[in-house]
Amino acid sequence: MAEKLIFYILAVITLWASVMVITRKNPVHSVLFLVLAFVTSAGLWVLLEAEFLGIVLILVYVGAVMVLFLFVVMMLDIDLATIRAGFVQNLPLAGLIAAIMAVEILLIVGPGNFGLDAFPKPEPLGAEVSNTRELGLLLYSVYIYPVEIAAVILLLAIVAAIRLTLRRRPDTKFIDPAQQVRVRKGPDRVRLVKMAAEDVAPVVDKGDAQ
Amino acid sequence: MIALSDYLILGGLLFAIAVAGIFLNRKNLILLLMCVELMLLAVNMNFVAFSHFLGDMTGQVFVFFILTVAAAEAAIGLAILVVLFRNRRTINVEDLDALKG
Amino acid sequence: MSFDAANLLPILPEIAILITASLVLILDLYLKDQDKGLNHSITLIGLVIAIGLTGAVGGGDAQVFFDGNLIRDPMSDLLKGAILIVSVLTFIYARPWLQDRGMLVGEFYVLGLLAVLGMLIMVSANGFLTLYLGLELQALALYALVAFDRDSSTGAEAAMKYFVLGALGSGLLLYGVSMIYGATGSIEFAPVAAAVAEQGISNKVLVFGIAFLVIGIGFKFGAVPFHMWVPDVYEGGPTPAVLILSSAPKIAAFALAVRMLVDGLHTLHPDWQGMLVILAVLSMGLGNLVAIAQSNIKRMLAYSTISHVGFIFLGLLAGSEQGFAAAMFYTIVYAVMSVGAFGILLILSRQGFDAERLEDLKGLNDRDAWYAAMMALIMFSMAGVPPTVGFMAKLLVLEAVVRIDMLWLALVAVFFSIIGAFYYLRVIKFIYFDKPADDAPALLTSSGVRFAMSLNGLALLALGLFPAALLSVCQAAF
Repeated sequence: MAEKLIFYILAVITLWASVMVITRKNPVHSVLFLVLAFVTSAGLWVLLEAEFLGIVLILVYVGAVMVLFLFVVMMLDIDLATIRAGFVQNLPLAGLIAAIMAVEILLIVGPGNFGLDAFPKPEPLGAEVSNTRELGLLLYSVYIYPVEIAAVILLLAIVAAIRLTLRRRPDTKFIDPAQQVRVRKGPDRVRLVKMAAEDVAPVVDKGDAQ
Repeated sequence: MIALSDYLILGGLLFAIAVAGIFLNRKNLILLLMCVELMLLAVNMNFVAFSHFLGDMTGQVFVFFILTVAAAEAAIGLAILVVLFRNRRTINVEDLDALKG
Repeated sequence: MSFDAANLLPILPEIAILITASLVLILDLYLKDQDKGLNHSITLIGLVIAIGLTGAVGGGDAQVFFDGNLIRDPMSDLLKGAILIVSVLTFIYARPWLQDRGMLVGEFYVLGLLAVLGMLIMVSANGFLTLYLGLELQALALYALVAFDRDSSTGAEAAMKYFVLGALGSGLLLYGVSMIYGATGSIEFAPVAAAVAEQGISNKVLVFGIAFLVIGIGFKFGAVPFHMWVPDVYEGGPTPAVLILSSAPKIAAFALAVRMLVDGLHTLHPDWQGMLVILAVLSMGLGNLVAIAQSNIKRMLAYSTISHVGFIFLGLLAGSEQGFAAAMFYTIVYAVMSVGAFGILLILSRQGFDAERLEDLKGLNDRDAWYAAMMALIMFSMAGVPPTVGFMAKLLVLEAVVRIDMLWLALVAVFFSIIGAFYYLRVIKFIYFDKPADDAPALLTSSGVRFAMSLNGLALLALGLFPAALLSVCQAAF
């Protein structure tokens, strides 16, 4: 019973948050609602005994990817009025398509095909079963080839993101600590210049003289 | 008891919301990216649910890789967005009219 | 569960490409601007080594490696070879353009090589997971390549469109995969096929999943009505990036379709056949009709791509071994034609000038008769005029469709390809019967580019005259 209650609370929050994501005016609010949707989904995954993925979703996805989103949203100066144009006109079409799609999906995945009769609830795993360990064993034995490919994908993401956004600006002023450290004591710091003494006439301030 | 169909219905509704979001926010690129993330969340929900009820870890392995790829995808997508914004000073799709389609 | 080093043998070509990419990435840091050509040479050497390795580890019956994640069969051997050869041509054509614009940097080669790596992974995937990862590796590299010219706003715009629709396509594809996984309990093709054969067509969940898979395939191929990105990306992207994404990825997309629909879900052929018929007819119709109205040659070639995709689908939907072989033949031939056509556009470009309008081809014959002849061969081949190979490819596909008693579909295809011949022949008219613009300089190209283009054009003629060699390899794959 408790499980049922948790499921419905989390599911309702997830759906509400994702509706908010697509309808908020301010993109920052959308990102924050997306974070909420991810966090509640992580709760659902823990309910499904996928503890590792639930934690990864929060640590990696919310912690890194969503923060990246927030960063970009705040960095770009977005004109809120223009991006909202056409929202109301699109609403009937979008609602209709989503409704048709939802009905179709519900017909297929409803209790008829995937109810408890076809897929009974599996026995809960004992406390001695470690989800992380199971997943790790699989990843580094059967799925070693996909792991390697995923590594290449991450390398690609680094190369691509740096190439697209890194620009060297010749006029940027910055301090190179390595150069600062390497300064030698003698000639680099202070240069003593010998100059001939010059005979300078004393300046007489008229105000003082008075 | 919570049946598999409950989770799948949740996934399906998330998917439909994501599709609706793509139609609603055709003008706003950053929201389009968020809708894609939402769509992947729906897919992941399906995989985790199937994995649990089939008693098979493969679904979780798939989710692990989808998360990895989605992170890389977000990085590249946002990089392209930044390049676009630098060049055009806008992410409003209506202003992106250099190309006809 | 110990690791068997024999698993590494079939992925030697992939390893070679990855090593080359890493080498270029590191070496590029230490190269001075005038030495950047070394990146180009290393890339070509790496690709040639990979071609050699593909031949060395290829041949023989299908074998499965890496606990069912990877398969090496005649199809993967042939498609890997084709992808690598086409990629060699693309890098050769792209170099002068990059050099003229100060973009001959290591990143271009790294991204290009990683895209090639993604395609190689796709063609030898034996499960949905490996296929998806290869697809994303290829797609992410291509998004970045389209945005490669950081100061071009059309390039960034094209990349954004490509990215959003590509990600959407991947999302739909994955939703389909999750349904298939739920219905069969596996993400490997052989167990999926066994489970599907057992459950039969009665399972609505499978049909539902296939619908999403076909939509995803449509997005990746750029078939109507999922073609919105194709014309904009072709027009807006830098020409070398378009050159890369218009040729070899089509071969990889073909592998994507065959691996999923044929290896995994062949039993459900009646279901996906109907969906492919719609995509094929719409693609051939819209592609050919809209191409006529284009004045931008990159846009025209984009719509021509869409129509060719329709023909590839014709072979696939036949569902017979002969149909698959014909579609494979068509895909490889299309990649060679496309790389040649964009290669000519790169040859016509020079510093500060991109050949993009149809008028830019005017009087090509007076400027350089040999390149004009090559472009004419490519256009004849695209239009399907004998004796070029384009005719043979169309004929084989149509034969496969007629064999399954879909005569009406073959007639529709013939009708649209006759309409399509008009705009290809218009290009030939520009080349031979118009005077060049007054400011058009003579074409200066390196001997390497000239040699590659000659090979490319003459291959279309030679394959048209002697199609048996390639065709028998294609037939052996199924």
